[in-house]
Amino acid sequence: MLHDLITITPRHENAARLIFDKVLDIRGVEAPAKMIVTISGEVGSGKSTVSVVLGRLLKKQNIRTKIIDLDDYYKIAPRERRQWRMEKGLESIGYDEYNWDKLNQNLTDFKRNRKSQMPCVDLISGNVEELHTEFKNIDMLIINGLYSLKVEDADLKVMIEQTYDETRDAQIYSQKESLDSYRLKVLQREHEVVQSLKSKADFYIDFDNSLYHL
Amino acid sequence: MLEDVLLITEKHQKAAAQIVDLILANKKEKMIVAISGESGSGKSELAHEVAKLLNKKHDIVAKTLHTDNFYNTLPKKRRAWREKEGIENVVGYTEYLWDEIKQVIKDFKKGRKSFMPCVDLITEQVDILGTNFKKVDMLVLDGLYAIKAKKVDLRFYINLTYQETKSKHVKDTRGKEVMDEGRWATLEQEHKVVTSLKPRADYLITADFDVVVNPEKMERR
Repeated sequence: MLHDLITITPRHENAARLIFDKVLDIRGVEAPAKMIVTISGEVGSGKSTVSVVLGRLLKKQNIRTKIIDLDDYYKIAPRERRQWRMEKGLESIGYDEYNWDKLNQNLTDFKRNRKSQMPCVDLISGNVEELHTEFKNIDMLIINGLYSLKVEDADLKVMIEQTYDETRDAQIYSQKESLDSYRLKVLQREHEVVQSLKSKADFYIDFDNSLYHL
Repeated sequence: MLEDVLLITEKHQKAAAQIVDLILANKKEKMIVAISGESGSGKSELAHEVAKLLNKKHDIVAKTLHTDNFYNTLPKKRRAWREKEGIENVVGYTEYLWDEIKQVIKDFKKGRKSFMPCVDLITEQVDILGTNFKKVDMLVLDGLYAIKAKKVDLRFYINLTYQETKSKHVKDTRGKEVMDEGRWATLEQEHKVVTSLKPRADYLITADFDVVVNPEKMERR
């Protein structure tokens, strides 16, 4: 994702710190050579921000971390998505909108220390570009996205909890998409799909920034 | 630049609106705009806002190109290299891979696919970004030495020195580089080089983020 705007608050820093401690725990016991962490949560829950803060913490520990944003993997480009969804109906909204084959190919390249070509959305121009990355020296992947709990291969799956109302409030402040009655319906649908995946998470982060098992 | 954190404030939005008015007044096909300024002056924030306004309000597909992706050394190795070679000897616009910048500009003008370096600030690796310029109407360059690029139609210079934005460097809120003697010496050298480019600018952005005609502008043939 190019040109995503994030604002780091103490709340994000606390959340990232909790995940960071968990990552170090896992590395201490299992020491996986190539580790995958997923961070999921609803729109506006702060996944991208927490991912960047976590990435910075890991970097300080010399754990080389690449962040992948699942929203780069939409099959339909940002500019055409609204129209496409209106034609296909609300039921079409969900994880089938993502190109999972492409993601899995990138994850395999990561595991096998290879070069990889990933999609990359420029949020300003709205164009989908391609990003070529060398995974040879990368120790860890952070995958953030609405449905990142669907990534079976992950060593740690975290979900940032937030209710639909809070998501809607967050969206009002986010400049990513304009809010209207159709957008609210989309948010409602995404909320339902995210909630249906909830049981896949290893840990949850709540609003007071504590980490817990469900 | 991947995983960069920008701090966009009202002053950036104000200046961006003025810049966009100037762009529209001088608009041409496949136009290129460049914004330069010292480290911490707000170039990336400004470029972001300008491109966003063009896309969202004026239906112009604008792409930002951050020229600081084009250094001839890898982020991790840059500091040691500069110190070995002598900061005063090497820090400056000769550190850019100008041929690569030229190539991207050419690809943009021809509306074809282009490959360019893209620094990931977390991995500190240089990824390669493939962009198809067919669907891009305008290029907004930003970076220390961006206004030195050829074929630029409008040049802007943020008239703020690193001394004036000192708190940003000391606080290091963007977590980019740790401050010490070597880093200050680098900023001082960058200051000298960037200041020398100022006469190329068509417009200056003042400390209050107003856009004014550059009184020092040197007419070039």
